[in-house]
Amino acid sequence: MKRLWILLLMELKAWRSDPITALGGFIPPLFILVAFGLLFGGRLTFKVAVLNQDAGQYGAVLRQALDEVLSPFGTPYYDVVDLAPERAWEAYRAHRIDGIWLLPEDFSERLAAGEGPTVDMYFSNYNDDRAKNHRIYTAEILWHFYEEIGLPGPPLDLAESYPRSEMIEWFPVIAVGVALLSFMLGSMINVFMLTRKEQVSRIVLEFGLAPRSLAWVLLPKVLLALVMGLATGTGLLAIVYLWVGAWPGAYLWAVWLLAGLVILFWVPPTLLLGMRAQYFAGAIATILTGLTVFFVGGGLGLVRHNWESVPWFSRLFPNTYAVDPLRDLVLFRTWPADWWSTLLILSAFAGLSMAVGLGVTARRLRRLA
Amino acid sequence: MSRFGLLLRNELKLFRTAVPIHAVAILQPTVLYLLMSAILVHPTFEMNVAQPTTDAGHELLEAMEHVGSPIGLPYIEPVLVTFDRGPVARQVVVVEDQDDHPVAVQYFGLVDSNLVKNYRNRLTAAGLRLWNEELGRQAVLVEEHAWLPQDMPYTVYFGMALLPMAVFVAASFLGAVLIAQEFEFRTILEYRLAPLSPAWILGARMARLLLLALVAGALVSIALGLRSDAWPDLPWLVALILLPVGLIAGCLGTLAGLLLRRTIPAFLVGLVASFVGWIMGSGFGLAAGFGEWYDRLSRLTPFTHAVELLFPRYFGAVIGRPALSVAYLLLVSAAMLAATVAVYRWRVTRQAP
Repeated sequence: MKRLWILLLMELKAWRSDPITALGGFIPPLFILVAFGLLFGGRLTFKVAVLNQDAGQYGAVLRQALDEVLSPFGTPYYDVVDLAPERAWEAYRAHRIDGIWLLPEDFSERLAAGEGPTVDMYFSNYNDDRAKNHRIYTAEILWHFYEEIGLPGPPLDLAESYPRSEMIEWFPVIAVGVALLSFMLGSMINVFMLTRKEQVSRIVLEFGLAPRSLAWVLLPKVLLALVMGLATGTGLLAIVYLWVGAWPGAYLWAVWLLAGLVILFWVPPTLLLGMRAQYFAGAIATILTGLTVFFVGGGLGLVRHNWESVPWFSRLFPNTYAVDPLRDLVLFRTWPADWWSTLLILSAFAGLSMAVGLGVTARRLRRLA
Repeated sequence: MSRFGLLLRNELKLFRTAVPIHAVAILQPTVLYLLMSAILVHPTFEMNVAQPTTDAGHELLEAMEHVGSPIGLPYIEPVLVTFDRGPVARQVVVVEDQDDHPVAVQYFGLVDSNLVKNYRNRLTAAGLRLWNEELGRQAVLVEEHAWLPQDMPYTVYFGMALLPMAVFVAASFLGAVLIAQEFEFRTILEYRLAPLSPAWILGARMARLLLLALVAGALVSIALGLRSDAWPDLPWLVALILLPVGLIAGCLGTLAGLLLRRTIPAFLVGLVASFVGWIMGSGFGLAAGFGEWYDRLSRLTPFTHAVELLFPRYFGAVIGRPALSVAYLLLVSAAMLAATVAVYRWRVTRQAP
């Protein structure tokens, strides 16, 4: 035990002389969090101008419907900007607004007479997803409009049923994915940089010559990486808390347990990378691996109920399995229904990676010696 | 000129001294594109629908199949399922009778607000088709005036906007790292002692950076073409538009390397400039749509100008002010080049390494 403690202190001292390693796991996820916060954290509404030339009353009702119909984000689908027609067309052509609704002069008259009232909708379709939204948001507006003006009811009513009383917001879902990335990168960068340093200063040679089991050497490295990963990830969780108000509270230990198992999967391969790769290229490869895993491993959306959309290669690492239970703990402070199966899967991943990765590392150290 | 050729050949041979760095700088944007294009938004959604047993259910199913773009993709791909009122995996639409009136109930599983929005809107669009049919001439007809003759997949815009980033990343990363390494390995002394004008040396380095940056851009362009079947109408013009972006990035990287003289900080300058520039510079959508201030800020980067110049090549429509964008790119390129030459002279030929 004393030996382990000495080696752990040695690793800690090595880290203290190069504390920038802690930032490697913090800065890229923070950067991603800010980028996605800017992109998806705001209102997902379309900015449109309504040119209401209608001589009757229905045009105003339709205009009002654009303000009244709310999306599941709790905000209107449309942010109607009040612009004079010339300014509106100018803004539309410059792509400063997303579209223009033109209500013709005879809109009410034709509606009352049942003569096929029309609305002209001008919109941009350089992005087919946004064009799709223009079309299907319109359906929401017209549905509400028909109800408001008292047309005969629909042949088929619509209703919804949710599993939870509150809506799960999209950005917090992403934020937990980013936190998992931070847990993972914090440990990977730490173990890569320290191992690389030891490789350059030939300390690994001394490790290889050690008369004792190499487990004494590798265990402190893994432990330090684990602690660094947990510290970095918890730091990012604190930022998530300040930003979106989500914090696991009493479930923090469960978050650490799940994240810790994910970390244990990634530490051994990074340890090996640290013994082989060039300093700079290895650091970049580590960060890029983390980012790639974030993007394809459920970082952007819920996984548990969307397995059919998960690519096959995403199932090859533990993040995909860990991210939703983490969301349960952080966003809803509820116990994951699949806690034990997740724990089992993550333990299997971690165990396999530790056995193979540390075994290969030990062999390599001995061969170096 | 033969001297320049020799210098350029020597520069290209330096590729072998840092293969992994080159591989990361050149391939990373293409890998990013391929990965992102696999998960980017797609208008067609599979929607689970409980096997219909009533006329209303069959009519809804038929209406769902017709929800879509008249100049693009369908928006709903109904998947018939058996619903046993147990827990729902994603969502399922069930037509039920409530008080002798049919109701299409959408049961949601644990999905986020964005998915709820998408499913809700699609079901409403299908329901509205039925309502409109019943209303006949009383129904409001929405006449669509889409900007382009065909809806363009988002992967096309995303890939096109990634082109300047690919070029910028390659040129700035390599420019920063390679010059900083010259200081770290003290090989900068050789440049100082070289009997050649710094212009030749810098010229060869810039030519090499531009060449590699264009290779990075070409790889993204090929990936974009293969993935989304979107090829530029004039590939040489695309290369010409990307050239000043690469020059600005190469100069920025070289400046960072010359001033900081350490690999990691110089690299970080390239990294931050590339990603901030990409995000701010119309990387995810036209900057003008994100608000006035965002638009103004984004125009300080070369990315938005490059995207606006590239846009007609992929979409066949002009945006922004092309003449202004060309002028911006040329002026900033010239200014960056002048700054790089000045700093190079100061740091390499006048200062001891």
